Formats: sequence, structure tokens, C-alpha cells
Amino acid sequence: MDEDVLTTLKILIIGESGVGKSSLLLRFTDDTFDPELAATIGVDFKVKTISVDGNKAKLAIWDTAGQERFRTLTPSYYRGAQGVILVYDVTRRDTFVKLDNWLNELETYCTRNDIVNMLVGNKIDKENREVDRNEGLKFARKHSMLFIEASAKTCDGVQCAFEELVEKIIQTPGLWESENQNKGVKLSHREEGQGGGACGGYC
Amino acid sequence: MAADSEPESEVFEITDFTTASEWERFISKVEEVLNDWKLIGNSLGKPLEKGIFTSGTWEEKSDEISFADFKFSVTHHYLVQESTDKEGKDELLEDVVPQSMQDLLGMNNDFPPRAHCLVRWYGLREFVVIAPAAHSDAVLSESKCNLLLSSVSIALGNTGCQVPLFVQIHHKWRRMYVGECQGPGVRTDFEMVHLRKVPNQYTHLSGLLDIFKSKIGCPLTPLPPVSIAIRFTYVLQDWQQYFWPQQPPDIDALVGGEVGGLEFGKLPFGACEDPISELHLATTWPHLTEGIIVDNDVYSDLDPIQAPHWSVRVRKAENPQCLLGDFVTEFFKICRRKESTDEILGRSAFEEEGKETADITHALSKLTEPASVPIHKLSVSNMVHTAKKKIRKHRGVEESPLNNDVLNTILLFLFPDAVSEKPLDGTTSTDNNNPPSESEDYNLYNQFKSAPSDSLTYKLALCLCMINFYHGGLKGVAHLWQEFVLEMRFRWENNFLIPGLASGPPDLRCCLLHQKLQMLNCCIERKKARDEGKKTSASDVTNIYPGDAGKAGDQLVPDNLKETDKEKGEVGKSWDSWSDSEEEFFECLSDTEELKGNGQESGKKGGPKEMANLRPEGRLYQHGKLTLLHNGEPLYIPVTQEPAPMTEDLLEEQSEVLAKLGTSAEGAHLRARMQSACLLSDMESFKAANPGCSLEDFVRWYSPRDYIEEEVIDEKGNVVLKGELSARMKIPSNMWVEAWETAKPIPARRQRRLFDDTREAEKVLHYLAIQKPADLARHLLPCVIHAAVLKVKEEESLENISSVKKIIKQIISHSSKVLHFPNPEDKKLEEIIHQITNVEALIARARSLKAKFGTEKCEQEEEKEDLERFVSCLLEQPEVLVTGAGRGHAGRIIHKLFVNAQRAAAMTPPEEELKRMGSPEERRQNSVSDFPPPAGREFILRTTVPRPAPYSKALPQRMYSVLTKEDFRLAGAFSSDTSFF
Repeated sequence: MDEDVLTTLKILIIGESGVGKSSLLLRFTDDTFDPELAATIGVDFKVKTISVDGNKAKLAIWDTAGQERFRTLTPSYYRGAQGVILVYDVTRRDTFVKLDNWLNELETYCTRNDIVNMLVGNKIDKENREVDRNEGLKFARKHSMLFIEASAKTCDGVQCAFEELVEKIIQTPGLWESENQNKGVKLSHREEGQGGGACGGYC
Repeated sequence: MAADSEPESEVFEITDFTTASEWERFISKVEEVLNDWKLIGNSLGKPLEKGIFTSGTWEEKSDEISFADFKFSVTHHYLVQESTDKEGKDELLEDVVPQSMQDLLGMNNDFPPRAHCLVRWYGLREFVVIAPAAHSDAVLSESKCNLLLSSVSIALGNTGCQVPLFVQIHHKWRRMYVGECQGPGVRTDFEMVHLRKVPNQYTHLSGLLDIFKSKIGCPLTPLPPVSIAIRFTYVLQDWQQYFWPQQPPDIDALVGGEVGGLEFGKLPFGACEDPISELHLATTWPHLTEGIIVDNDVYSDLDPIQAPHWSVRVRKAENPQCLLGDFVTEFFKICRRKESTDEILGRSAFEEEGKETADITHALSKLTEPASVPIHKLSVSNMVHTAKKKIRKHRGVEESPLNNDVLNTILLFLFPDAVSEKPLDGTTSTDNNNPPSESEDYNLYNQFKSAPSDSLTYKLALCLCMINFYHGGLKGVAHLWQEFVLEMRFRWENNFLIPGLASGPPDLRCCLLHQKLQMLNCCIERKKARDEGKKTSASDVTNIYPGDAGKAGDQLVPDNLKETDKEKGEVGKSWDSWSDSEEEFFECLSDTEELKGNGQESGKKGGPKEMANLRPEGRLYQHGKLTLLHNGEPLYIPVTQEPAPMTEDLLEEQSEVLAKLGTSAEGAHLRARMQSACLLSDMESFKAANPGCSLEDFVRWYSPRDYIEEEVIDEKGNVVLKGELSARMKIPSNMWVEAWETAKPIPARRQRRLFDDTREAEKVLHYLAIQKPADLARHLLPCVIHAAVLKVKEEESLENISSVKKIIKQIISHSSKVLHFPNPEDKKLEEIIHQITNVEALIARARSLKAKFGTEKCEQEEEKEDLERFVSCLLEQPEVLVTGAGRGHAGRIIHKLFVNAQRAAAMTPPEEELKRMGSPEERRQNSVSDFPPPAGREFILRTTVPRPAPYSKALPQRMYSVLTKEDFRLAGAFSSDTSFF
């Protein structure tokens, strides 16, 4: 099983507390929904292998706690991530407003700048929506992120979100292949030697 | 006849190839290759543009064939051209002379600066060469040569290939080729003469013309005119007064930090020898006709100054010794050493143990000796140490690889706080040459994963680099590192912060060593705070927190800070920093006095009501709005423990442990439990600050979204806010509830430390101590590369060379890719270093050329610009045309360079020569001509003449000849009409 895995990708889920980060993850990895999922403490971790365009990728997904106090701890886990899923709750505007803070944090702690970001508006099954889809779209465009609305409860968009993210990561050169085969760019500015039978000047 | 067409008869016409000779097979192999490469038939390309041989791209295809067991390689060389319309092919081109024959007469690409010799000799745009595959092999005997040539001829005839096919004969270095080109009814033979010495009669144009004419053997009289192109090349090696200005840096000047010498923290730059070794001036007469000019054994019209075209090329010194490149390369070599510090210093670990205490002060004393240091900082213990050191000194000195002066200078450079009166706040930086922070250059450390250019780590890297190069090599490196580690220990033990490191938790964007040092600083900071707290002792604490702490706490916090919940984080920090005494952590509850106060609290089962009786402790400030649900008391934000700082390796370790727990439910539970220490600590602090509080209260502060409030209409009809915990918090025995139940009301200062600074500091110190010089070099290589790139950038900005700018950018992006991985391959690192060295050499060349052409001295703005452009072209192009030839501005300078060199050469002529020369005029004429004899003379003679008979078709004829001191070559291409012969 493992030998045909193309690469292992580290993905991080962040966002305010109670927006459904762990639920999204549980829906994706176990395809279940538990309305009474305990609040995450620190970081949690799940693994899933998915296949995108015939490429198998093993995802190591780190789920983080949204509480402010834990936030001093989690940035350490941003290190080396190739993808980040930023979640807000469409029924609670405050979770959307706080997105800017999260992006700032990402910028500060991410060790690489070509990381792929995805914005997910969760809980679209609920009726009391406060954040319009267009607002989410606009925010994502402004910060060049992927965007999708989803519901961990009804399963809408969850699988798609993860697949889209992985596909994008795989398409980004230099973001993932490096650990397996250090493919470097060849820079050749060697002096044009006397090779190739060419010679300079009279001969 | 009828029988012939019968099917059976064909059966009898079997052709038998079973006895085909090696030779026949060889020919068919050649034909096969020509067919494979589709070189059959004539396709006329566009006429060649001027200079296309240099500006266009040349490609080659190769194949291997064998003649018996002798291997030949067949190579097709061709100029890549936009595919011409295939229409031309459809037309019948029977009578058209093959492209290659036409090219023989092309004048647009005479004397290409860089090209295959066959291109230079014959002006061909494509050709095929058959040469022995092995480099040492050669076709020597005449019969073999003829055999090969006949094979070629037959293959060309059989296939109808019109591309010239050459065979390389004799030793490869002689570059002897014979070849043939066939077209419909026409053939060109390529012949060659190669001699060591120029026969006297052929040293001039008229002699060469004679050969050419006799070779053509033209039956016509008068002969059609021969067109002539001539190029003479002059070499300048002696640059006279333009000595290479760069001196190797003066090492002795280093000590004591004298101005002029290399200072620590700076990198050297430049080439030690002139990176430009020769200047070649080519004077060209591109288009002459026979009779216009005279050049024979007694007289010549070919005066270089009068030549209509001048072009110049420079010969670069091969791998000139470049200081920066050497510096970095030498440092990189340390990475491969296997010895440990102790092995290098030749002391056993045992000895070291005993010596250690002395050495700690050794390090410090060196720092502090030269200047007076406020005594309060170092206290009495230092005096004792100094005394000890003196006792030991007699044996240490001769052995240590670094002399004391150098070591002192370095330590002062690294730890400027040791002499300054400034407080040890860890932010001292004396270097003002650093780019301003926030600038692109400053943030390069981010890309290289090195360290900021004003940091201790970066400076250490530069010092080690310098020591490795100038002061004792590897031994010196090991010595300095040992001193450095001792200094680190000293600082830890004496609560002195390490300077030159940004405060706060380790910056994960920097190299691991930098993170480790930052970590050590965190430990020192905490220990210092704790120790200072102890000194101020209990009396102070009780002053700030008297029995009724509620009011006092209120007063302590400025009003505006109480307002908003949002500012909580920042406030917490600032408050922490000015009342360190409150941050006392004790590993065990030994403070009996404190215990008495809370004596009653009997473990976990203390319900809210009992807890209400407790004395509140460890309050940070009052929450703006919230009150406790049970008793309506204001809710206080507690003082909490800071989370533990982490370096990337610790983090890696931790996440590995967490990941190893797997994805099962138990795993997740265990993981949460492992991380709940912080939650529990916060709960305890909260309980201590808010006697009588409940989990709901805590959740409202800690995770407000988990407390759901709803407007409910009570029995009296009023709208009341009713709140409850969220569903997930109400799950029985979830981690939060569990933790809440276990949490005892203990203020942060009496809790077990979440971050054990003593242990972490010892871990860091141990880590530092076991680093071998090789490890160290690997840690610091990114810093050194970072510094080298900055240096190259800085030097480039003085010269402003656009191509170099581009390369630097590439180096940066390349290095950032390579250095971001934990263990970059040596090959890639070497490549980066090589790139940097190349850029250095490029800049040095630019400087050399600028000095030689005196661009700085040029007064007229316009001329100066032209000259600068000329110089930058020289760097980037193989050959540069001199505008105005000998009469232009650059031309005059070049002329002067040659004249000066000639004069200098004539200064000391041998005695006899002077005597031999007759009159003074003659002497002037002969000995001090402006130019030396040409190093190379090239002639191209061309004409179109019918051969072999007067009524044959007129076809291109060409002869190229080159004459140098030890080489004479004639390369002729003579075409003839084969229709009736």
C-alpha cells in the first residue's frame, strides 16, 4: 500500500473555536459525524491516503484547538506544512471576522511562502446563515486562497475540499517532491569550455 | 523477355550479401545514419544573416558505427534555423548547387568568435563528421584514410545526401579533416595541409594566392578576381602599469582591529591575481580584391591601425584565486572533517573535566580583562576565578591554537556587552553596517534559514570562517568553539543574557544553532527572573498581595487596561514583565507559609462552596464584564504560566510522539491528555484567582463560544439571559470536565513549572558541547552562504553589472531551495559555492577591465558611457566590435596599451641586437613598432571558377589559411563539375 504513495503531505486545519474543524476532519477521515465531539486540546492528528488524478498522497492532517490560549502553542505545528485549511462558521459572523488574524498568524509562522491555503465556510446545513457565500469568495480571492463551502454534518463539499487542496499542492512545483527526490534546478553558468569542438579565435 | 516477367524468374535473382566485406557494411551503416537523420536531398535554407554563427544556436546529433571492430562516431553539427517552408523541397531543385557549396562564398560570417573549426574554415552551416570514437584512436596510414574517404564518397553518391561529410584523420589534436560534398553533377573536395612551420614562400598573401590559383588550375585567362578577407590577431599580455590592485589582506593588521586590515565580521572579496590575462585584438580587412593591396615578403600594406574593423576579446585567467570563494570553500571543507573538538585540541575528556571551571572564567576574563568592568556585575567569584586562571595559565598558553590577542578580539566582537556599561539586555548590537531590518536583504535569513545578519550566530559563523582561513584552521575553529561553549555556560550560570539574539521563543525560520542559543536565552531569562524574585523575597510579595488581594489587584491594573477583554493577551505580557517577582515557580510546594493559607483545601473534591472560603491568589486583573455565576463576584483573569519555548528539533520530537499515538480514539485521548498540562495549569490558576468559581466561569473566559446564552422569558414574563455550557462541554467525563475536577486552586507561581529551564538549559549546553567542528560548520554554512551572497551583492552594487544581478537572484532562489532541507547534499552546496565564486570572479574581471580601460579617468560623459558599455560587452560577449576601429575612443586606448607594452619590451633589448641595427632611423622603425608581430594571421580566398574545363559550370572555390608561430594550415574547398568527367 505504502510503496505506491507519491508523497506525504502535511496539512493543517485552523480557525476559531467551535467552527467545526474536528468535525470536518472526522467526516473526511472516518466519514462520520458526531454532534458531540469534545473540544480539541492542543493539536490532534489524523492520517488518510487519498488518490488525486491517479497520484496517491498520504495526508498527515493536524487538527488544532481554536481557543486563544492554545494559540501560543499551535504555531509550532505550522512548520513544514504544505497546505492549510482555514475554517469559519457561516452561521457566526465573528468567526469570519477573525480570519484576518489567522492569516496574519500564518504569515508569521509558516516557514515557506508557497504554501497552499484553502478557506472553508462550514455548517451550511444550518438555517441561520450570517455569512454570505459571496463574502467568503471575495475574501478568498483577495488572499489568493482556494474556497469552498461545506457541511461536515451533511457531508457537502468535504471530500472535495481535501481533494482540491491536495491537487493544488501536487501541482505546485517544489512544494512537495523535495523530500523524496531532491530535484534541484540546475544552474549552469560555467565558463563555456573548449567543449563541443568549438574553438575561439584563430585555429 | 516474357520469361523475365514471370514470377518464378525473380526467385533466381537473389542478391547475395552474405559475403559482403566489412567495407561494404561500413558504407551501408553510414548510409543508414544519413537516412535516419534525414539528410537526404537538397533543402535550401535562407541566406545566412550577419553574425548568425555566433548568435544562433548550434546543435549536434551523434551516433556510433564501426568498421570491423574499430569504432567511429558520426556527428551531425548544424545551425538551428527556423524551418523553412517545405515548398522549396517540392520544386525540382536538380540544377541548384548544394547549400554547403553556396555557403563557401558567404561573407557574412567570416571569422566567427566561437565556432567549430570546420565552420571557421569553410563557413558551413551544417556538416557531418566521422571520427574515431575513442579519443586516443587515430586513422594514420594513407591507405586507411583513402579507404575512409572512398566510403564517404560512395555513401554520399548512393544516398544523394548533399551535406558535406568529413573524415577526421591523424591525431585528434591536429584537427585534420578531409571531406566531400556532392550535388547533382557537382562535387566539392575538402582538403587540408597542416604543418608545424610556415614555409617561407607562404608567409604572405601573394604566396597564398599563388597556391590557391595553382590548386584551382583554372583554364581561363584572365582568372576571375579573387576576393580576399584577412584578419590579423595581436595579443597583449603585458599590461604594464596596470598592475592588479588587489593585495591579499594583511593578516597581521587584524589583531587589535586596526583599520585597513580585515575586521572580524567582514568577508574578504576579490581576486588575488589579475582575472584578465590577455587581450586579443583582431584587425580585419573583410573585403579586399586581389591587386588592391600588396603583401609580400618585402612589403606589406596591412597596417593594423588602418584596418577597417577592430574587434577585441579578453582571455580570462582560468580559476583565478578569489578570496571570498576560497573563504567559503575552506569553511565548507570543515563539514567533512570527522574529528571531535577534543580530538583536535588533543586533550582528553578527562583533563577537560578538571579544567572546566577554570576555563569558564578563562573565557570571561579574556572578555573582561582589557576594560574595567563594573564589579557588581561579576561579583567576588570572578576574582577567585581570575586567580585560578593565572595558576593554570602557564600550561594553557603554548598549547592553544589561537593566540590570546586574536581570541580576545573575537570574543569582544561576539560579546560586546562584556566591556560596555550597558545593561545586559540582549539587544546590544554594535554593527551599524547591517542593512536596516525589514529590508529585503535583512530578511534573507528567512530564505537561507540562517540567522539575521546582526545576530550572534551570524557573527560567530563569520569569525569561525576567518579563523579557519587565517588563524590556525581547524584547530582554531575547535578552540574558538570550545571557548564559545564555555562562555555560554558561564552566562547561564551567572544569569547574563546572551547578546545579539532576538528575545522571545526560538525563531523557527533560523538555523537550529540559532534556535538553540535563543532557547538558552529563554532559560537564562526565566532563571534570572526567578532568582531576582527570590532576592526580593517574600516580604515584597506580600506587600503587593496583601490578604485582601481583590482590591490591591484592582489598583495595580491601570483602568484602561481593564476595559476590554481583547487586550488581555498584551496586558498579560506587559504586566508579567514588570512584576517578575510574581512569576516565581517552585518545583515543589516547599513554601510552608503559603501552604498554611490554603491548608484546608483537601484535594480534588473541593466544591465551589468550600473553595469560596479560600483566599484568592495569583490574580492578573479583573475581567471587564463577567462575574462569577454562583456568587456574583467579579471574575479575575489569573496569572498563568507561559507555554514552553521550543526549538525545531524538540518540536519535531514532540509531534513525532504525538503522531505515533496513532489515529485511534485511545490515541487521540492520550494525545489530548499529554497536551492538557497547560489547560490544567490554567484551570488551577483560575481556581486560585477566583474562589468559588465553576467550569462555566472558566469556559466563559477560556473558550467563550462554548458558553451558549439564550434569551428566555421567565415565569414573570421578563426576558432573561440564560446560559449553559455547549453540548460538547457537557459530554460526561470529557477532558475539560475531567481536568476541571482534578485542578486544585494553585496560583501559577506555586505550580510545577511547565517549562523546566534548568533541564532545558543543560540540554542545550550539552548539545553545544558535543558538536564537532564538522557539525558546527554544517549548522553555520547557511549563515556563511548568506553572508557571502550579501557581500557579492554589495560589491556588485558598486559595479552595476546587470548579468551579475540576474545570477545573484538565481543563486538566492536556488540556495533557498537547497538550504531549507535538513541535510542538503554536498554536491548542491558545492554548486552554490561555485556559483558565488563565479560571480566574484565576474565582478573582479569587470573591475580589472575598468581599471585597464580607465573608465574612471574618462572625462567626457558621453565617451565614458560608451567605454563602460564597451567594457560590459567585453565581459558578456565572446568578441566585441570596436566602434571606429583604431580611430575610435576605445581603439585609441587599446592602441596605447599595445604601444606601452611594446616600449617596455624594447627597453632591454639584448646588446648584440642593438649593435646589429644600423642607423637610428632603422632602429626606430624596426624595434619599436606599435604592435607586436601578429600572433595569428588568417586569410580567406574565394572565387567562382569553372572547373575542370573552361566550359564546365562555374563553381565556388575557397581556401582558408591560418599562420601562427607554430602552426600553418591550409583548408581548401575546391569544387568541380562532374557532369562530363
